[in-house]
Amino acid sequence: MSTSQLEVMLKPGLEDSEGKKVKKKVKDYFGINIEDIRTIDAKTIDSENLDMENLELAREKIFTNSVTQISSFDSLAKSLDWDYMIWVGYRPGVMDPAGQTGMEAIEDLTGKSFGEGGGVYTSRYYLLRGKNLGSGDAEKIANEMLFNDIIQRCKVLSREDWKEKGFEIPSPKVILDYKPEVVTLPVKSDEELLKLSKERKMAINPRDIPTITKYFKKAEVREERAKYGLGDPTDIELEYIAQARSDHCNHNTFNGKFYYKDMSTGEETVVENLFEEFIKKPTLELAKEKDWVVSVLWDNAGIAKFDENNNYTISMETHNSPTTMEEYGGAITGNVGEYRDKLGAGLGSKIFMGLYGFCTAFRNYAGKLKPKRHPRRISDGEIEGIRDGANKSGVPTPFGVTVFHEGWLGKVNLYAGSVGIMPAQVKGKPTHEKHINDGDLCLMVGGRVGKDGIHGVTAASEEYSEHTPAGHVQIGFPYGQKKMEGLILEARDEGLLNYITDNGGGGLSSSVGESCRYCGKVGGVEIDLEKVPLKYLGMHPWEIWISESQERMTLAVSPDKIDRFMELAKKHDVEATVIGTYRDNGRIHINYEGKPIMHIGLDLMKKDFPQWEFEAEWTSPEMRGLTEPVLSEPKDYNSLLKDMLARPNVCSKEWIARQFDHEVQGGSVIKPMVGVERDVHSDAAVSKPVLESEKGFGVTQTINPWYSEIDTYWMTANVIDESVRKLVSVGGDLEHIGGIDNFCWPNIQYDPETNPDGKYKAAQLVRSNRALKKYCKEYKIPLLSGKDSMYIDGNLEGEYGENQKVSGPPVMHFTANTVIPDASKCVTMDAKMPGDLVYVLGETKDELGGSEYYDMFGHIGINVPKVDVEKSLPMYRALQKAIEEELVASAHAVSRGGLGVHLAEVAFAGNYGMDVNLGKLIGSLDRDDKILFSESSGRFIVTVAPEYRKKFEKIMGDYAITPVGYVTKESRFRVRGMHGDELINQDIGELKHAYKKTFGDLV
Amino acid sequence: MKVKAMVLEGYGINCERETEYSFRLAGAEPERVHVNEFIWGEKKLEDYQIFVIPGGFSYGDDHGAGTVLASKLKNKKGEELIRFIEGGGLGLGICNGFQVFNRMGILPGSDENYDLEEVALMPNDSGNFIDNTVNLVNKESPCVFTKGIDRVDFPVRHAQGKIYGEDSVIKRLYKKKQVVMQYAKGSLTKNDKRYGYNPNGSMGDIAGICDSTGRVFGFMPHPEALNSKLNHPHWTIEKEVYKRRGEKMPLEGEGIQIFRNAVKYVQNNF
Repeated sequence: MSTSQLEVMLKPGLEDSEGKKVKKKVKDYFGINIEDIRTIDAKTIDSENLDMENLELAREKIFTNSVTQISSFDSLAKSLDWDYMIWVGYRPGVMDPAGQTGMEAIEDLTGKSFGEGGGVYTSRYYLLRGKNLGSGDAEKIANEMLFNDIIQRCKVLSREDWKEKGFEIPSPKVILDYKPEVVTLPVKSDEELLKLSKERKMAINPRDIPTITKYFKKAEVREERAKYGLGDPTDIELEYIAQARSDHCNHNTFNGKFYYKDMSTGEETVVENLFEEFIKKPTLELAKEKDWVVSVLWDNAGIAKFDENNNYTISMETHNSPTTMEEYGGAITGNVGEYRDKLGAGLGSKIFMGLYGFCTAFRNYAGKLKPKRHPRRISDGEIEGIRDGANKSGVPTPFGVTVFHEGWLGKVNLYAGSVGIMPAQVKGKPTHEKHINDGDLCLMVGGRVGKDGIHGVTAASEEYSEHTPAGHVQIGFPYGQKKMEGLILEARDEGLLNYITDNGGGGLSSSVGESCRYCGKVGGVEIDLEKVPLKYLGMHPWEIWISESQERMTLAVSPDKIDRFMELAKKHDVEATVIGTYRDNGRIHINYEGKPIMHIGLDLMKKDFPQWEFEAEWTSPEMRGLTEPVLSEPKDYNSLLKDMLARPNVCSKEWIARQFDHEVQGGSVIKPMVGVERDVHSDAAVSKPVLESEKGFGVTQTINPWYSEIDTYWMTANVIDESVRKLVSVGGDLEHIGGIDNFCWPNIQYDPETNPDGKYKAAQLVRSNRALKKYCKEYKIPLLSGKDSMYIDGNLEGEYGENQKVSGPPVMHFTANTVIPDASKCVTMDAKMPGDLVYVLGETKDELGGSEYYDMFGHIGINVPKVDVEKSLPMYRALQKAIEEELVASAHAVSRGGLGVHLAEVAFAGNYGMDVNLGKLIGSLDRDDKILFSESSGRFIVTVAPEYRKKFEKIMGDYAITPVGYVTKESRFRVRGMHGDELINQDIGELKHAYKKTFGDLV
Repeated sequence: MKVKAMVLEGYGINCERETEYSFRLAGAEPERVHVNEFIWGEKKLEDYQIFVIPGGFSYGDDHGAGTVLASKLKNKKGEELIRFIEGGGLGLGICNGFQVFNRMGILPGSDENYDLEEVALMPNDSGNFIDNTVNLVNKESPCVFTKGIDRVDFPVRHAQGKIYGEDSVIKRLYKKKQVVMQYAKGSLTKNDKRYGYNPNGSMGDIAGICDSTGRVFGFMPHPEALNSKLNHPHWTIEKEVYKRRGEKMPLEGEGIQIFRNAVKYVQNNF
């Protein structure tokens, strides 16, 4: 095997923007001054089939831009001036996207194949120059910024060390030093299975164990198995069952039984099944009422009607654990994995919009606890992950939420959502239905299988040897998936697909195991596992079966259409392999090299595995000792408002929005940043998924960790109400609002030692679900999709070497979407014209519990905002009508930070001044600070041209009796208090500066 | 006559659908053609008058934007493409397509030399991807795509859009009027500083260039993403202005002009 190292760098005279960026970050992160950083990209080319001439051709034609770069098969660092060298490369087996495309490019150029075991591996040198730079600094920069031990390898060398010893890039080639085998695992007793489960890190729930042991002991099962030469369960069988029964796949918590007790009222109730009662039942009821709901609760995404000819598909996922461990990889795989849910929804949909949510501790965290990765690093890395995943997939990402809370120090929340569009029918068949026929071929399409993600996060604690692949966290390969999308959409349009689903958690085990249920009457499949294409030889069959290697789909294609499908696969340059045949015999059967290794009745999974049970004890806010704070009215409102606008959870996060392409596909209508300078966050995003159509698709997201500290019931109610208002404020249609619930909760299983407040957390979950049901029902929001992630906890080392458990705040992240009949009637939140009247719709109450204002002073309070749909909804309807009649110049939903923040935003987004008189507001609240910063639900700020005043007020009736102020040409933001005294008189530019400065120097 | 545009797709190109749509709005008959269909000869250049490489991340842009696709196209179809251009065909490279044209040496195409790599698109000075709207000034040039445009706001979305070339090359591009569009900034901006900036540090604020004939044009901005007025970041503001004058806002996007110019040129010259 011959290996060559190619090094490429910018010509020495040119500025290295990557190096410059790192230099700035080093200064920001650590306060270390570096004179210069230059980067050198290394490509390790490993192939027996290439000669020097081929390599030279590749160097010149592919890897070197003669205008800007120099390159060499010799070291470039030799001739440069530097003090420390940091080399970073991937561990064996980690997806190396640039390596993949480099290999593709060389093969294409030379016409030669790399051959078995060949490859291109990319890595990078950072050359640091600085007079006062010490080896400790270089180590710190490497460890805390440039490299992650989980997926990468790193070497730090001083110039002297390098001169003396040199440095050779270690090969990241995967070499498995064992032969594939299948092991039979006699399970004589429950105890034995439990022990085995622990040893093999299968994580079978102890409650499930008796059902499994019993199954393999049954006479008829043993008899049938004997026919195939099978006796006791094999490793692949037990691994399959463990995967299929995991909480991740089964949502055992949400399907659990809850014994709920309200300690303040004594109320005791039993919730037989959380999911059934609070999510499934109400959604099915609403689906009957809303004829635009097409398909919910079973597929990879919810499907609903966009117009007569098209349906949209939607879902939102979390990727919390992987992102906490490796932020870039966790975010990018979460993101492109979520896209696959759209590719695998119905018979396949095209992704037209991506969404994100970043929840971490504060970027400037400087507390005593020592998270493995600083929140700032996680924040930067997850943004890059979503950026690369989304931009390289050609998916516009126009909306997201970014929230900071110290509770996320232990484990972060990473939300990734997307929306797809597909023709409602293809070749006369509805695309939201999928059926497999006995005899259909089972295909695996896309990436190859490696030891990726086997046993998920438990593998993280395993020790590495030099050539063992890093399994658990992966890097996404959006380019590969984009090619696959092209194939799938074309195959769908030709009617070649009978079924499609993605390979996510559980890999083939899950995708084949699930899809085979849709074959005929009882389902079934027969797989020849050796046919699965592998990244490297030597994997055990059970590993192939449960590997979570990315960018793969599982498909059912009928035999008469397979040739055409394979033609298309060739055209799109996507690997597609028939790995078996679907059967209607109720069995999932696997052969490996002709020998049966798994044979399990599909009914096993339907059997009565015991339901999980939880005790839930609610203690009211009063019982927990919460009160309103003792706080007098402030005197300096000017500074207060500026400081409020600059707070991390209020201020601009434009630097994030601008990194995400939000205009690709050409349908962008309302962008993430709006206003005359395009620098204030929009309430919602609107896009046109069908360019020929007038219709718009609107979406927004809401999350609120603060109200949960008082009552998760009201947290949930407010999150839903805020979502609805944000949609209405851009022109959303109240008759068509879909929702997605994403619960991210700390562990709710009570344990006196490790989770002493588990019962309270379980009660918080029940209360949140109660509110979810009630408010979705009242706003008529069917839940098109939803997910839960139940272990938002982390154990962090403290100042004295102690370990502290940090539980994340319980949150229900809500995504709400709407279909707008005419996108040209949409509205943005910025003030449009001087002289326009300013209205505040909805009542401002003494509801500052959990508010940003109280938080500013370190208080929680107790008066959490309540939601009253009966009162609000008619007003929302009236506003929708006023917007439809084009009477509204701007509309903004009032949320975090209250009227003070939102009135200012409306003004400075338009670069206009505003005069507001709080005395004209409705409501009986009698303190100016409370009026300005209360977070009461149900409110909007609307500006209206004077000529439309009458029409507008007529439509709004009692909801908008009189304007509270007007937009001014002079750029001052003026607020008079309820007694007429001037509270705020500020230059708009200064307010905007405060809003933008906090993260203003981030790019 | 029917104006046929071949819009390439596949291998990570991702703006093919809206580019196709924009050409259709402009009166052409666009067709999305997979890179392999083109390379394997299933679709032939002789059946088209316009060849388009849309934006995207071909091959993930991993080895420099546009690099691998450029190598592939040049290797397999280089001579044919040059013949197509020399024969009077139009070439349009948008964003990633522009990067590909440069790496193939089709652009800058001074003195109709389509095999000379002289201009590079380097990483943005910020070191990061950016999506924003820029105001562009259309310079005097032979470019057939930009006729009748004075100033226009287009979206830009890229990580590698900084034009770089030897000083002599850049000077020559100016001298030969191959600089088509510039980012408006500083004193160039008449009265509107809202989008007056250079998003990537491009030399001479250059956003796009054409060959010496004006038939091959490449630039970083995305006209196809301004196929409707509703794509413009300020349409809700403009709408209010129209409304209060008692007028209805026209819904056509300013980007369509680029495609219409191409269609008109073909109709007049073929």
